Amino acid sequence: MTSNYEIKSPQQALSDETANRTHEHETFDERLEEALTDDNMHRALERFAPSWRASRLTVFASEESDYGSDYSFASMRSALHEAKDYAIEHQDELIAQFKSQAEAAGAIIYEARTAEAANRYIYELCRRKGIDLVVKSKTMVSEETELNAYLEARGITPVETDLGEWVAQLSHERPSHMVMPIIHKTRQQVGGILTETLGREISRENVAEQVAVIRVEHRKSFLNAGLGVSGANALVAESGTVMMLTNEGNGRLVTSLPHVHIVMAGYDKLIGTFAEAMTQLRLLARSATAQHITSYTTFITGPATPDKEMHIVLVDNGRSEMRADPHFKEALRCIRCAACANICPSYQQVGGHAFGYIYSGAIGLVVTPFHHGLDADAGPQSLCVSCNACETVCPVEIPLPNLILDVRSRVVEAKGLPWLKKVIFAVMARPRLFDSAVRFFSIAQMPVTRGGKFIRPRNLSMFDKLPGVRPIANLARWRSLPAFASKPLRDRVKTSGSAANQLDPGKAGITVCCFAGCMIDRLFPEMGEAAIRVLEACGVRVTFPQKENCCGLIALNSGDRAHCLGMARQTIVMLERSLAESKADYIVGATTSCVVTLTQDYIRLFDDLQQQGWKRRAQALAEKVMDFASFVDHVLLANGKKLPISKTEGEQIVVTYHDSCQSINCLGLHSEARHIIQDVLGLELREMPQSDVCCGFGGATSIEHGDVSERIMNNKLNTAESTGATVLVTDNPGCLMHLRGGVDASGRRMRVLHLAQLIAEQLE
Amino acid sequence: MRTTAFTDIFTLFQRSLSSVSGESHLAAHLSDAAEIVASHPALIEKEIVVPPNFGQHQQWGAILPLLSSKGITIREAGSPASVADAPAGLSGAELAIAETGSVLLAENSLEARVVSMLTLAHFVLVSESKLVPKLDDAAAVLQVLTNAGSDQRHYISFVTGPSRTADIERTLTIGVQGPKVLCVLLVSDEEEVKP
Repeated sequence: MTSNYEIKSPQQALSDETANRTHEHETFDERLEEALTDDNMHRALERFAPSWRASRLTVFASEESDYGSDYSFASMRSALHEAKDYAIEHQDELIAQFKSQAEAAGAIIYEARTAEAANRYIYELCRRKGIDLVVKSKTMVSEETELNAYLEARGITPVETDLGEWVAQLSHERPSHMVMPIIHKTRQQVGGILTETLGREISRENVAEQVAVIRVEHRKSFLNAGLGVSGANALVAESGTVMMLTNEGNGRLVTSLPHVHIVMAGYDKLIGTFAEAMTQLRLLARSATAQHITSYTTFITGPATPDKEMHIVLVDNGRSEMRADPHFKEALRCIRCAACANICPSYQQVGGHAFGYIYSGAIGLVVTPFHHGLDADAGPQSLCVSCNACETVCPVEIPLPNLILDVRSRVVEAKGLPWLKKVIFAVMARPRLFDSAVRFFSIAQMPVTRGGKFIRPRNLSMFDKLPGVRPIANLARWRSLPAFASKPLRDRVKTSGSAANQLDPGKAGITVCCFAGCMIDRLFPEMGEAAIRVLEACGVRVTFPQKENCCGLIALNSGDRAHCLGMARQTIVMLERSLAESKADYIVGATTSCVVTLTQDYIRLFDDLQQQGWKRRAQALAEKVMDFASFVDHVLLANGKKLPISKTEGEQIVVTYHDSCQSINCLGLHSEARHIIQDVLGLELREMPQSDVCCGFGGATSIEHGDVSERIMNNKLNTAESTGATVLVTDNPGCLMHLRGGVDASGRRMRVLHLAQLIAEQLE
Repeated sequence: MRTTAFTDIFTLFQRSLSSVSGESHLAAHLSDAAEIVASHPALIEKEIVVPPNFGQHQQWGAILPLLSSKGITIREAGSPASVADAPAGLSGAELAIAETGSVLLAENSLEARVVSMLTLAHFVLVSESKLVPKLDDAAAVLQVLTNAGSDQRHYISFVTGPSRTADIERTLTIGVQGPKVLCVLLVSDEEEVKP
C-alpha cells in the first residue's frame, strides 16, 4: 500500500480523533440545545424547504405532462407501494432469487443478522487481505452499523468520498440529512474544515475551489484504497443486480477502482424487477432533490471486472422484527429519499441531528427503535407535531404519522406519562369530573384573566410563588393562553333556545348533530355558536348532545392509547344515542382534528386492538361524520341552499386562509373554504405563501418543545401578515388557539377567526 | 431522412440532457461526429483517450482515423492513474433515454470504464436507432444485458450529464469526481454515401 501519494497524513490524523466522538453519543437534550442555537443550520433549512417544495411539484408535474396520468406522482407511488409490498411479502423467495443470480455472476453473499456481524465481516476481510485504507461511497446502512468507528478502532482508515459525507466525517459529525449530509454547514465552515485538515489555506468563499480541492484529495484515496464500500438503492432480484445512485461520480470510482468491493444493504432494498426499479428511480430523485434522475445510476451484477472480488453484506439489524409487525413492516418500503424530512416543520427548525438518531426525518422516528432501541427514539419522537405532511409526499405511501404515534405509545408504555398528563387525561376520560373541573377553573382563573379571553404572563406575575405558575407563565410568554369560557357552549345552546330544543324538522329537511370538540365547547363557545347560526340560517335543524365529552385525540396524540380507548367508546355510544334520539342525518364537527379522530383514528385503534365489534360501530358512525366546511360546501351549497348574506357597504375585509394540517393532509380539504370565502361571501382572499404548512401547535408538542413551536408559529404569522390581510381564517380550533395566542402575545393586529365565525359575521 | 417521431424524441432527449448541463448533437455521419469532437473546446490539447481496441469496434472504430486526420492524437486507456484528468475521452453507449437525457454505458473492462469516469470531458457515441423514449424501454435492455452467460454485462451505468454536487450550501458545482463536460453524439445509422 505504499505509494507516491502522501494520502494518509491528513485523513489518518483526523480519523484517530474521530472514533467515538460522533453526535449521537450526546443526549437528545444536548443535541436539541445545539440545534436550536445553530443559526447557520436554521437559515439553510428555512431557505431549502420552500424551494424544495416548489421544485418537487414542478418536476412531478412535468413527468405527468410529458407521459400522461400513469406517470403522475399518485400513480407512480401507488405502483411502487405495490412492488415494494410484494418484495416484503415474498422476501424469502426474492432473496433466494437474488442470491442465486448474484452468486452465479460471481458475487459472495453474507447475511448479517446484526450490525456487529456486518462490521466484523468487513473488518475480517480487511485483515485477511491486509487492507488499511477503505474508500466509501454513501451508505446509510454503514452509518446505521457505525462501521467507521468499528474500523477506526481496529486501525483501518475509512474515507467517505461523498463530498458532504467527507466534510461531516472530518467534523466528527453524522450527516444531518440523508441526502444532503451537510446542509447545516456554511461554505465558510467547509473552508475552515478543509484548511485545518489539509494544513494549507483553502478558500472560505469559493465553493468551486473547495470542490476542486476535494476532487484532488479524493483522487489519491481512490487510487490507493484496497477496498471500496458502497450502499445500494435497490437489489434487483430477477438478475442479482445492485442498483446505486450518485451525483458526484464517487460511487462508480468506489465500486470500480479498489480490488475488493463490498455492498452493504438492508433486506428492505429488495425489488423484483428492473421495470419496478425504474419506477423507484423516477420517484427517488424527484422526491429527494427534485431532479429527474441523478447523474449516475449504476447497475452492478457480480464483480465489476473478472479480477475483482464483490461481496454483498445483507443487513438485518431489526428488519425481521419490523417485517413481523403488521404496521411497522410498511416502513420497510422506504427508499430513503428524505422527502419526509424536507417537508417536516419540526425538522426544518432543528435539523437531523435532533430530529432523529442516525436515520432522520419522519422515517427516522419510525425505524430507530428497531435499529437502535426505543431509548434512542424517546426524545426525537416527541418533536413530531402530527401534521401528517410527511405522508402526503412519501413516494411509497408509508403511514408515517400513525407509525410515529405507535412509537410514541410504546415510549409511553415503557416510560409512563409525565404525572401532569396522567392526571389531565384521567380527568378528561371521566365526563362529569371533567365538566366540574373545567367549571371550577373557569371561576378560579378570574384573578388572572380578569374577565378577559387570555392568560398572559404579566397577569400571572403576582402569583409567581404558587406552584406550577412559573411554567404556565413561560408557556404564555410567546403565546397567550386562552381563558376557559365562563359559560361553555353546552350551556349556551340550552338557554339560547337554539339547537337541541327545536324539535320541528328544519326547513332544509336536514337535521345535524353538532360535535363541537372540547376546545370549542370549553374555550371558544363563540365559534360553536357561529357554526350553529350558519347551519340554522340555511334551515338546518341542529341538535347538541349534552353528554359530549373529549373524543380522546389529545390522549392518543400523547401516546396514551388506554385513555383514548375509553374516550373513543364513550363518544361512540354517546353519538349513537344522539343519532337515534334526534334522527340526525349528519354529525357535523367544527373541529377538523376531532373529525379525523372520529372518522380515521378510531377505526385504526379498534382494528389494532382486534375489537371488531367496536371497529364496525366506528365505521358506521364515520359515515355520518362530516367537517363544517365540507358540510356547508358539499351538502348545503351544492344542493342549492343559500347563505343569507347581508350586502352592507362597509369597509371591505381582506382574508387570508391557513390550511390546518388535519383539514388538508387528512381530510383533503382545500377548495371548500376558498369557495365559501370568495364566491359565496364575496370577500377578497389573499393566499399566504405555504398556507398548508403547520402552524406549530401540534398538541402537546407546543408545550414540550415551546421553542420549536414558537418558531414555526412565527413563520406562519409572518407569512399571514405579509399578505396584508386583516383577518386570518382557518377551521381548526387548535390552530386558532395557537395563532390567536401568538397574535395577542406579539401585539399584532390581525383578527383570527374560525371559518364559521367569518360566515356568521356576514349573515343578514 | 429522420422521421417526425424521431425528431420529437430527440427534442425531448436534448431538453432533458441540457437541463442537467449536458450537450447533445445529431450527426448525420461518423465524419460529422468526428468534426464535432475535434472542434470542441475540450480538445484544445488535441488528444483524446479511448477504450482499448476501440479502433476495432465494428460501429465506432472508423471514427479514429477521421479524428487522426484532423490532427487529434488517439491514446488507448490504460490504468486508472494514467487516465485520471485526461482532458478528453471518447466511448460508445448502448442506449440513449429521452425521458431522462441519459446514455447507457455497459463496459466490463475497467480500462474502458475509466474513460467515462476520470476524464475531464467525455464524448459518447450512440446510434440514432438506440434512442428510446422512456426508462421502461431501458428496463427491457437491462434485462437482456444482465442475462447470465458469457455476454453478461457486469457493470452498467446510466450517465446523465456531467458529474455534479450541491452539497455545500446547495450551490451547484459541475465536475466533482467525474467529467465536467458530457457531450452525446447521436449518429445516424444510414450508410455514408461517398461523393
